[in-house]
Amino acid sequence: MTTIKEILSRFQEIASNPDNRLQGYIKDGKKVIGCFPYYVPEELVSAADMVPFGIWGAEGTISAAKEYFAAFYCTIAQMNLEMGLTGKLKGLSGVIVPSLCDTLRPLSQNFRVAVPDIPFIFVAHPQNRKKEFGVQYTVDIYGKIKKQLEAIAGHKITDEKLTAAIDVYNQSRAARRTFVRLAGEHPEAVTPAERSAVLKSSFFMTKQEHTVMVNELNELLMALPNSDWQGIRIFTSGILADNKNLLGILEENNLAVAADDVAAESRGIRVDVPKHPDPLYALALQFGEQDHDPLLHDPELNNRPEYIIKQIRSCNAKGVVILMMQFCDPEEMEYPDLKKALEQEAIPHIIIGVDQQMRDFAQARTQIQAFADVLSMA
Amino acid sequence: MEQEEKKAAKIMLREVVDQVYQEAWDAKKRGEPVGWSSSKFPAEIAETLGLKVCYPENQAAAVAAKHGGQRMCEAAEGMGYSNDICAYARISLAYAAGEEAEEKPMPQPDFLLCCNNICNCMTKWYENIARMHNIPLIMFDIPYNNETEVSEESVAYLKGQFYDVIGQLEAISSRKWDEERFEEVCKNSNRTAKAWLKACSYCQYEPSPLSGFDLFNHMADVVTARCKPETAEAFEALAEEYEQAVKDGTSTWRYDENYRIMFEGIPCWPVLRTLFTPLKNKGINTTAVVYAPAFGFVFNNLEEMMKAYYKAPNSVCLETGVKWREGICRENKVDGVLVHYNRSCKPWSGYMPEMERRFRKDLGIPVVGFDGDQADPRNFSEAQYTTRVDGLFELMEENKKGRGSV
Amino acid sequence: MGNDGFSYTLGIDVGSTSSKCVVLKDGKEIVSKALVPFGAGTSGPERARKEVLEQAGLLETDLSYTLATGYGRNMVEGADAQMSELSCHARGACELFPDVRTVIDIGGQDAKVLRINSNGMMENFVMNDKCAAGTGRFLEVMARVLEVDINEMAVLSARSEKKVDISSTCTVFAESEVISQLSNNADKCDIISGIHRSVAGRTGGLAKRLGVLPQVVMTGGVARNAGVVKALEEELKVPIFTSPLAQYAGALGAALFGWQKYIRN
Repeated sequence: MTTIKEILSRFQEIASNPDNRLQGYIKDGKKVIGCFPYYVPEELVSAADMVPFGIWGAEGTISAAKEYFAAFYCTIAQMNLEMGLTGKLKGLSGVIVPSLCDTLRPLSQNFRVAVPDIPFIFVAHPQNRKKEFGVQYTVDIYGKIKKQLEAIAGHKITDEKLTAAIDVYNQSRAARRTFVRLAGEHPEAVTPAERSAVLKSSFFMTKQEHTVMVNELNELLMALPNSDWQGIRIFTSGILADNKNLLGILEENNLAVAADDVAAESRGIRVDVPKHPDPLYALALQFGEQDHDPLLHDPELNNRPEYIIKQIRSCNAKGVVILMMQFCDPEEMEYPDLKKALEQEAIPHIIIGVDQQMRDFAQARTQIQAFADVLSMA
Repeated sequence: MEQEEKKAAKIMLREVVDQVYQEAWDAKKRGEPVGWSSSKFPAEIAETLGLKVCYPENQAAAVAAKHGGQRMCEAAEGMGYSNDICAYARISLAYAAGEEAEEKPMPQPDFLLCCNNICNCMTKWYENIARMHNIPLIMFDIPYNNETEVSEESVAYLKGQFYDVIGQLEAISSRKWDEERFEEVCKNSNRTAKAWLKACSYCQYEPSPLSGFDLFNHMADVVTARCKPETAEAFEALAEEYEQAVKDGTSTWRYDENYRIMFEGIPCWPVLRTLFTPLKNKGINTTAVVYAPAFGFVFNNLEEMMKAYYKAPNSVCLETGVKWREGICRENKVDGVLVHYNRSCKPWSGYMPEMERRFRKDLGIPVVGFDGDQADPRNFSEAQYTTRVDGLFELMEENKKGRGSV
Repeated sequence: MGNDGFSYTLGIDVGSTSSKCVVLKDGKEIVSKALVPFGAGTSGPERARKEVLEQAGLLETDLSYTLATGYGRNMVEGADAQMSELSCHARGACELFPDVRTVIDIGGQDAKVLRINSNGMMENFVMNDKCAAGTGRFLEVMARVLEVDINEMAVLSARSEKKVDISSTCTVFAESEVISQLSNNADKCDIISGIHRSVAGRTGGLAKRLGVLPQVVMTGGVARNAGVVKALEEELKVPIFTSPLAQYAGALGAALFGWQKYIRN
């Protein structure tokens, strides 16, 4: 078990110190491109030999960003701006900012004008992304991003490099999916906090580096005997699930994450880039195939609730913990239908309001403890 | 042929909107499919195919103005919708789920026309209704534009969707697309837009021949009926009335016009009178409203039409939004800006702090904000609002005397 | 084990604003109870424990089991176990009202609605958002603005003759609404009635999210305010049961769970 713990400890070190990682890359002379939520085509960055760095807020206090946002905005957006304003993102060679929700729209503008020193790349993802004209539009906007990245990198991004980057990312996604399954099967070896660190650290490493470590870990987990862990498996849903206090409370109550529908975790790794002679087109096709996410319009309207139920059943979770990012419209608007689907299937759930400024976890502790009681009686 | 007694424009305008709802009810009775549409979905398409459509945003505003907003919002919250969600959406979702709204009833939808140029919330809102009713959702996606011009690829994307939407609506209406009828409809909507903009432009006169708050009411027509010739006629009549008022030196603003302001944001429908009173008492007329001219869709061909629909207040980049507002502030000679920080509208309220700074710097006038909500009365405080208006008044006084700096 | 041959268990409920204790004999009879209006982080819990033992004529060593619940449950010294106040309120409410299916608990800082199944076990729950509106804190603030004793509010609201609405969901805005009403010479009784309806509206919304199944019971400190109970009955259109022991439901449930754990060992 020591070797598994060693690797997990390395992942935790990386996940807890993004700033060190960033400075490390910069010192090595690498160009780092900050990637805001959601669905940034990181393969383009990687193909330009630059480092894609996930920037999904941070735990902290919002202060400078108050000059741009009233209180009722999600902390991820506000903290991203806060970090930009307080120099924490200094050294980035660029940021890529999508606009898939009503907070990202003003965030993109505010960030662009408030942090003018960091070259700004905008992503106008289409919601009608499956039909041919939609795929074409994705190709067009990804093409624009590619050009801007080339200008920053100082050289062209060849199709060969892009194809190779796609391979790297497909392998990375596959490795992470395997880890999610194995961690769900072996809660005795991987605590909720450790699981989160493995996934979160992928934001702060090149995918090549990350995959090497994940593969190593996966092998060791696969070698374990069948688990006889006696706790309760749950399913998580939300935007972020990386708060160490909350994860610790899950562990305290003998709850383990069997699988997740979390934007920063599994939502980003469900879909691989398909094979296509034109790698840019392949990336556009991949975006077209992303689904089951409240942020993305799905013309097959009822797919998502059905998909989530299927996920829950196949990982043998007994209940669902929804980590509702405060002020997140898309998640809030999806909730009633998710709730209905869960109730129809008699799958218990709780919903905990979270944000990155949380300091008091008493209510969350009470809810999770009570939920564990409810699940153990079921 | 002249009528003996000319109908007042505001009556014509009200009748146009009543007609929209009536036609929807009649169509429903006849067994025809009736649609619900986003306010900035290209209305020309449904109109060309003879489909009757009504507008949940207009309904929500009317319900809120008649004091049904809280009840409907609470009903939505009881269904599990967070009170953080846009109040228009909450009201509409409650109604779609079967809550009665005697304040402004509307036939339930058979299809949905969703366009997200004004916000992303639209998409989730309409998806929820489509699921509730198990009906088709026609999605016209207009992504946010970070640039001042609309790019070629964006026009291409919209054109692709335009033809796709036509196909979907042909199936729903069981009618074929008629290009000639489309041209006629576009002529109407352009005429309406021009007449609307013309009417709004009378705010530039000092004193203004109209109370700016009137435009909030007249806006319903340009939201719900811009493709109808009656609407164009009504706005042209309105413009004529203003023209006459300028000549006669009269105004629908019956108070002193000590100061002129731009009102930024959607009005707080449940408390319009409360918004109006302190302004009236201090002689502050609203001579520029951003929300209203946002509906001036003028275009000569399909490409221009696609570009026109790219221009909603929440879909243009910061610089364009500022330019637009500073333009009407200058043209309409405002002395100050009153900003509604609308709890229901995250995209809009998200730009305002930076825009405020630019207004102060570029225009040299005071800017004051207040907290409110377009339709949920629980997010508004009369005491706070009145204090802020008093503050704005005092700043404008100082500014006029040239003593203070803003 | 007490030296009279009976087994005594102690339930301690340390809330944010008060500490409650209940001593149970053989898991059946309430021997003593105590309430101190000071909660977590104060001397309240210890004072309540001392008081309840004195009342029962017992020493700490006479206790077979001590179970702590509430916001401050993890800081109670010498507790054998701790459980969430959700489970304990559910258990306590069930003891007081065997037919209960929905428990509404409005405490000092939060509000919760619990679903009890036909076996008397809690099977689902919802808690309020991070917000003071609709909690005991909200009522305290309003009582202060109106310069009335919070314990008088029920009696005063019963005298209301005219409908005055306090609609703001934000406590700060609501305060300003109340002040505005007072300046316009609105009757205090009418305002208090409006405040009660506001709390009922918030709590009712929470309850509807879970679904309201009779028998509905209210526990927690605010249950002692008959004005809120009545307003909630009107909001939810169901009779709501409560008991003078309502505030002790958490401690009672804790003592009962303590008994269960003791006999299992």
